[in-house]
Amino acid sequence: MIPLSHFMIISAALFCIGLYAVLSKRSAIMILIGIEFMLNAAILNFVAFSRYDKFAAGGQTFALFAIVLAAAAVAVALAIILNVYGYYKTIDPTQIDQLRD
Amino acid sequence: MLAAFLPLLTFFISLFVPVKPAGKGAAAIFNIGLSLILSGALFLKVWNQQSFHFRIEWVTIGDFTLYTGILLNNLSVLMMLLVSGIALLVHVYSTKYMQGDPYLHRYWAYLGLFCFAMLGLVIADNLLLMYMAWELVGFSSYLLIGFWFTRHTAVLANKKAFIVNRIGDLGFLIGIMITLTQFHTLDLTELFGSNGLVANAVVKGGMWQSQAGMMPAGWLTAAGIAFFLGAVAKSAQFPLHTWLPDAMEGPTSVSSLIHAATMVAAGVFLLARIYPLFGDDVLLIIAITGAFTAFMAATIALVQNDIKRILAFSTISQLGFMMLAMGTGAQAAGLFHLVTHAFFKCLLFLAAGAVIHEMAHVKDKQGIAFDPQDIRLMGGLRKRMPVTFATMVIASLALTGLPLMSGYLSKDSILINAFEWAEGHSGLAKLIPYSALLTSWLTAFYISRLIFKVFFGELRLEQELLVHVHIHEAPSAMKYVLVVLAVFCFFPAFSLNPFLFEDAWILKGFPVTDSMTRVNLFHTIIPLAVNLIAMLLIFIAWLWYGKQQRKPDFSASGLFRFAEGQWYIDQFYTNVLVSGFVSVSRLVYRFDRVVVDGLVNIFARAAKALSVMAAWTDRNIVDRIVNGAAYLTGQGGRFFGHFQTGRLQHYFVTMLLVVLAFFIYKYYSGTI
Amino acid sequence: MSLLSTLIFLPLLAGVLILVMPSAWQSRFKYVALGTIVIQIVLSAFMYMNFNADLAGVSDQNKFQLVERLPWISIDLGGLGKLQIDYFLGIDGFSMPLLVLTSIVMLVAVLASWEIKTNLKGYFALFLLLDTAVMGVFSSLDFFLFYIFYELMLLPLYFLIGMWGGVRREYAAIKFFLYTLLGSVFMLLVIIGLYFSVTDPKTGSHTFNMLAMMDPANYTAGSIFSVVSKQMLLGVPARLLGFIVLFVAFAIKVPVVPLHTWLPDAHVEAPTPVSIILAGILLKIGGYGILRICFSIFPDAAVQSSWWLGLIGVVSILYGGLNALAQTDLKRLIAYSSVSHMGFVLLGIASVTPEGISGGMMQMISHGFLSSMLFFLVGVLYSRVHDRQIPNFRGLALLMPKYTAFVMIGFFASLGLPGFSAFIAEAFSLIGAFTSENVNGFLPRWMAVCGSVGILLSAGYLLWTLQRMFFGETRLMGGEEWKLALTDVNPREVIALSVLAFLGVLLGVMPSLAFEKMNSAVLELIRLVNPQ
Repeated sequence: MIPLSHFMIISAALFCIGLYAVLSKRSAIMILIGIEFMLNAAILNFVAFSRYDKFAAGGQTFALFAIVLAAAAVAVALAIILNVYGYYKTIDPTQIDQLRD
Repeated sequence: MLAAFLPLLTFFISLFVPVKPAGKGAAAIFNIGLSLILSGALFLKVWNQQSFHFRIEWVTIGDFTLYTGILLNNLSVLMMLLVSGIALLVHVYSTKYMQGDPYLHRYWAYLGLFCFAMLGLVIADNLLLMYMAWELVGFSSYLLIGFWFTRHTAVLANKKAFIVNRIGDLGFLIGIMITLTQFHTLDLTELFGSNGLVANAVVKGGMWQSQAGMMPAGWLTAAGIAFFLGAVAKSAQFPLHTWLPDAMEGPTSVSSLIHAATMVAAGVFLLARIYPLFGDDVLLIIAITGAFTAFMAATIALVQNDIKRILAFSTISQLGFMMLAMGTGAQAAGLFHLVTHAFFKCLLFLAAGAVIHEMAHVKDKQGIAFDPQDIRLMGGLRKRMPVTFATMVIASLALTGLPLMSGYLSKDSILINAFEWAEGHSGLAKLIPYSALLTSWLTAFYISRLIFKVFFGELRLEQELLVHVHIHEAPSAMKYVLVVLAVFCFFPAFSLNPFLFEDAWILKGFPVTDSMTRVNLFHTIIPLAVNLIAMLLIFIAWLWYGKQQRKPDFSASGLFRFAEGQWYIDQFYTNVLVSGFVSVSRLVYRFDRVVVDGLVNIFARAAKALSVMAAWTDRNIVDRIVNGAAYLTGQGGRFFGHFQTGRLQHYFVTMLLVVLAFFIYKYYSGTI
Repeated sequence: MSLLSTLIFLPLLAGVLILVMPSAWQSRFKYVALGTIVIQIVLSAFMYMNFNADLAGVSDQNKFQLVERLPWISIDLGGLGKLQIDYFLGIDGFSMPLLVLTSIVMLVAVLASWEIKTNLKGYFALFLLLDTAVMGVFSSLDFFLFYIFYELMLLPLYFLIGMWGGVRREYAAIKFFLYTLLGSVFMLLVIIGLYFSVTDPKTGSHTFNMLAMMDPANYTAGSIFSVVSKQMLLGVPARLLGFIVLFVAFAIKVPVVPLHTWLPDAHVEAPTPVSIILAGILLKIGGYGILRICFSIFPDAAVQSSWWLGLIGVVSILYGGLNALAQTDLKRLIAYSSVSHMGFVLLGIASVTPEGISGGMMQMISHGFLSSMLFFLVGVLYSRVHDRQIPNFRGLALLMPKYTAFVMIGFFASLGLPGFSAFIAEAFSLIGAFTSENVNGFLPRWMAVCGSVGILLSAGYLLWTLQRMFFGETRLMGGEEWKLALTDVNPREVIALSVLAFLGVLLGVMPSLAFEKMNSAVLELIRLVNPQ
């Protein structure tokens, strides 16, 4: 049986890769992908911990719920990126700094 | 009462009714004539009969009601008759004397005001009303002295007259205050009538007590002196006599009416009115003042050269006699002399006026500058102005007090009374009658000097200025006035017995307050001594001035200069008192500007300095603190603004760090 | 609207009317003002005629006349109690004569305003505002209302002096303003102290009602000004301190030495009509305040300090007189003579005798007429040649005989010639001061004696001026040019001067016209101050 720590190591790795992508990529799409990574790391943890909840399977259920929400969120995010592109003609987040003081 | 108000009517008519001067003069004479007739009628009704008192409520203050009204008794009807009589004569005289003056309407107006005030003074029934009339008299005298207001000396003289009189008024007012406080009434009858309040007030244990109140006994003397001060100023007694010689700047007719016959006698009248108030000490002061003034003025009159000034000093001297009489208890004699003096001094002035009138006439015609009042330029007028000469001689004889004349009666009554009075006194008082005797001899000398210089010898004006002048008798209006007055200088007008003053009817009209024994010796010796020596002196004067014989030259002697300088009293006043007062006032003003106002300004400057300091503090400290706080906030804002890069990824990093920091913190703090 | 309110607010209305009138009608403003004041005179004459002299007033509302009492400000302050300020007006024997005086002096001032040429709209508006304020001061019986009118008076005066005045007008205006304000600020403290000490017996709340303040029973026990508890403040009895503060506030107005130095400056710099109002009315507010407020509210303290009051009066008389003697500026001379004459008011009041207080009141009325007359006369001269230095004129009597006649009337009247009101006033003030030692022992007799020397001084400086300026041969500093400029008085001036001279004589001959109206009030005040 695979120990719980393996799941968590993979999950942490996934989160760190996502984090790296979010912080360093120069494209909004890549950042979005990084976010998905981080989201899936969290879902993986849900699934892994759900083995302590075999009867209600709350972790599984929540994982499914999160996947559905993530899909919806990606759709919205992509729409925003499209609009940003339409407005700024770029999706590089370093260029879009109008909120600076 | 109507008699008093008629002249006031004159005042208004003259001021406000546009009639030509002659018409106004006629109206004025008519009014004063009517006054005289009314006065005469009243006189007949009241004299030695029941006195008449009429009053109305005037003012109520608190619970104290002041009445005002008129009181007619022997004294007031006599004075009324005298005032209106002499005023009528002077009015008539003035029609010619003042003829052609451009401000004649003012003259009649002022004269009317004066007569009103003077009549009001004599019939007033209370002290306050009397005071009012008293001041009005002074005011009209002010107006008349300054009648020729373009003359510098005239306006100086009238200012002086009013201010000096004001000093006396002050005394009068203080007297009124004392009387009112003590007795709660100012009514003359209630106060001074027989068995009146004053008579019933007693000095007991150092307190002066009356039915209405009491105060320390010193105030009784103070009241006496205060009223006497009023009389001193009005009757030109030492030390307040200096205004009267200067007052001669007014028209001569005015001098004769106001400054010889009536107004100056008001002081004596006042003393007579309030006689019961005076204690022995005050009476002694009055007597000494009178005697001293009489003597002093007579010495000054010896050496003056201005005809009016001689007469003025003579008036002062004679008023001194009246005061002396008052002080020695011979109230009736004083009043008797007042009446006789009024006639002969008025006559002297009017005759002198006639002379001056002619001399001034010459001056205008010839266009040469000389003083028309200087007796050194006159002389020999006896032939040119016989009527004036005759009347003036009569008046002079009356003044000297020779037998058959009115002055003989009144002056002797004063002298004899004084001697009798001195019997009962000791010390300085003994000197008083002798000084009075000496004064009456001096009188004989100076008046004869005047007569001889003016009317005898040759007209010195012609010799000195080498002109030929025409001087003739005064106009008839003036001439007849002189004659009428001259008639009153003889004895029958006052007493049928020309040698015995005690028979005079005026003396019988007043209470005789003599507790003194009649010393028969005096009654023969004194008139004899007076008259013999007086005649001798007149003879000497005739030799020196009439015959122009050689005479000893005194003009270098110190006494002569002392007298000529009028005892330097006036100089003393001008140089010491007046300039002293003015410099004190300047000093006070400097004080006001520098110290009082200076304090205010220092206060203002201090406030200003304080405010500058406050402003500095405000700018540099308080404001600094406020600005510092704002600056810090701004700097902080700028610092934190740097975190606001607008870049998403920076925000993420920050969020990550914060979350990490939170975890680390939680990790070390032990609990999750 | 009742008579008093009409009297007070009519000028205000007229002032507003002038403000809304177009500036092109400038020449008509003065007629509006004149008309207003004539109406005021008619009203006050009506008031005088119908005045019931038997009602004493002073401390009893039922004995006041023309009383108006409306609740004005009434706020519940919770723990501090209820704030109660009434619109409370009424007149008695003290205020009525001064109201009449005010309307007459205002008439003269308006007639003198003909000389004002610049910015007429502002001038007349301020002038009428001043009129309102003065009338209000004389008739309000609520201390707060009094204070409002009192301060309201300062504002127009400041501008009238500061804008239409002479060369040093700013200095004078500021000096005047600050001086008066200084007094009134401290007065406000006392007012507040009184407010917290006094309760209205009817409503139980604190009150500004002056009449309530006069009754010792209305003071809360233990309050600062309570009669019974005798609180100390800075080591001085609080009531005495309160009296002194109020006295100083009014003494500045009177003015008394040494608080008088604003007066000569203000008078010299002010335009003629303002000088008239200053001398004719404003100085009287000081005397009125001392009677109405100092003496009535703090009778015990008044009794204690009457000796000092009398002394200040005597010093003012002599000091003012001596100063006047030293002046070369005619207007300054008259200003100092005002100081001297107002000293009699204080001396009379301090004696707390019927003669003294009546004399003091009479002196206020008489001085109101006569000083207005004198300032008007100075204005006549100044408007012609713009100079009023005494040495620059000589022999004016030849050039301007009618003018000289009026000057002589004015001068002799104010030096106290019998037959004029000033004589009666001064004589009774002095008599009052003199009798005081016998009646109540407040003033020693020497004060009256010293005070009477002031009469001599006034004769000195006025006659000296008369001699220097009017008599002698004509000699003027400005030569022929002045000779042409110095025309005799015109009909407008004759009317103004005759009115004043006539009133001066009328009151001098029939003083009972005034005495009779104030007698019961005077007696009531004396009973209040010195119950025996």
